[in-house]
Amino acid sequence: MLTIKILGSGCPNCKKVEAITRQIISDMGMTAEVIKVTNYPDMMKYPITSTPGLVVNEKLVCAGRVPSPAEVTTWLTTAELEAL
Amino acid sequence: MGVLSFLLELLQGGLANLAAYLAAHVLLCLLPAFFIAGAMTALIPKESVTRFLGRNTPKFVSYPAAALAGSVLAVCSCTIVPLFAGIYKKGAGLGPAITFLFFAPAANILALTYTGVAIGPDLAFARLFLSLAFGIGIGLILALIFRREDADHDRLTDETFAGSGHLRLPVLVFLLVLVALLLAGTLKISLLTQTYAQVALPGAGLEQFQASLNRLVPFDPTKGEEGVTVQGVLLIGLLASLGLAAWRGFENIHNGFNRWTWAALCLAGFTLLFAAAGVIPGSEGLQLVFSGKFFGVALALIVLAYLARRFLTPDQLRDWLWESWRFIRQIFPLLVAGVFLVGVVRQLIQPQWIESLAGSNTLLGNLAGVMFGVFMYFPTLVEVPIAKMFLGLGMHRGPLLAYLMADPELSLQSILIIAAIIGRAKAWTYVGWVALFSTLAGLIYGSWVDGTSAWVLLAYLAGFLAVLAASLALINQHNASRTALALKNQGHTP
Repeated sequence: MLTIKILGSGCPNCKKVEAITRQIISDMGMTAEVIKVTNYPDMMKYPITSTPGLVVNEKLVCAGRVPSPAEVTTWLTTAELEAL
Repeated sequence: MGVLSFLLELLQGGLANLAAYLAAHVLLCLLPAFFIAGAMTALIPKESVTRFLGRNTPKFVSYPAAALAGSVLAVCSCTIVPLFAGIYKKGAGLGPAITFLFFAPAANILALTYTGVAIGPDLAFARLFLSLAFGIGIGLILALIFRREDADHDRLTDETFAGSGHLRLPVLVFLLVLVALLLAGTLKISLLTQTYAQVALPGAGLEQFQASLNRLVPFDPTKGEEGVTVQGVLLIGLLASLGLAAWRGFENIHNGFNRWTWAALCLAGFTLLFAAAGVIPGSEGLQLVFSGKFFGVALALIVLAYLARRFLTPDQLRDWLWESWRFIRQIFPLLVAGVFLVGVVRQLIQPQWIESLAGSNTLLGNLAGVMFGVFMYFPTLVEVPIAKMFLGLGMHRGPLLAYLMADPELSLQSILIIAAIIGRAKAWTYVGWVALFSTLAGLIYGSWVDGTSAWVLLAYLAGFLAVLAASLALINQHNASRTALALKNQGHTP
């Protein structure tokens, strides 16, 4: 079970990251909880300088850009393997 | 009947303004500017600038770096707010954070280009220069006022700012060529405006078309209005089809390039080329005029295509197009609506009102400009057509600059976000200083326009800043000695 956090106040890029992530979760048949973090104090707990940020199991994997679906797939599968 | 014709007049005013903006200004300056903004967001590694914003960076590096970050990294609030919070909480502290916040809206590529082309390069330059001086000034002042709080806010390790990204040379060249493309389309120097070739195309009746366009969109050059040309109509058509192709091609670019993507790119290039050529409708047909501008744009486009193919990775290319498209989609519709509404409102405002309030460079006029900026909230870039309207209605350039400086910095929305991050006392102190400095900037620039020597003004400015710094230092010393005394007293009484 993965815990995924999307850091972002609701800008277009944040929505894009969320859409890509959800798509891959359903494509891969993973069980994951997707949490949207929208207030700045909570976001600033992670070392980001611009949104959107993507956090997988409390680890920041990407910030300030929209990752490609291939990248997201790699991060999610790596996290799954680490959790085993 | 009276009401109906009145409404019709308003609608016509709005449409005329919109048509004139789309045909004349927006294209040549904003289209490349959007792509530059996208390239800056996607291709410049943020760490290449933010590593100068860490906690241990000396002041003379961190303040200029904050200003640089404001102009190259921060085109939208996605970057402004997190970076502001980061610099304040984990990085260089309150001062540079404020400098960043102040400089970003005034100095990013979109705002500068748009101001320069729509109103005048002098005002764009004044906006840039005075924002830089006052941004650093306000940052230093706030850092001084709130020095003790700044020292004891949370001491996290600054891993946020520890990265070491580097801007690769080909990427830098790519950015510079994009800027060259922008300049080739907008600069008015003889090398670019001179005509080098002419081609006559057959096609009768276009003269009548132009005449009927002038009837449809009547304009009064004395009021600063612009009409619509045949070329303008064709450009609006091209823009619309470009918008459609971009929607189909860029919206889902993360799933890969499709045919629409290439169509949109070719269309964008063609639109720029067509806009750079001169089209004169005559009785015999169409006269195409190729000036230096056209060849400059063509050359820049060819170099860009080569650099993009040769040096950019597919991921970079994709990020660049996506960010550019995102800016266009986010800002352009609001801008179009704003320009339309400005055209409508313009019909309702009597020039005498503006004339009497801010027609000359007075303290009251500048204050009026600032107050209007604080209490009105307009989306990004819409402040520019509004400023142009005021200019056409007789506002002095001084108060106009005061308005342009205050409006993007101070809206209720941004004040609330800032207050949430740095606290209410600091936020309102910031607002007060911005209001003061914007008024001052308007006064200074206004008297420069009125003919006062720049050196005299610089002397005044330096004098004012010196007095300010001295009094702040004095207050600071006073506070410090009082705290020391209080600590001593605490030490003596058990």
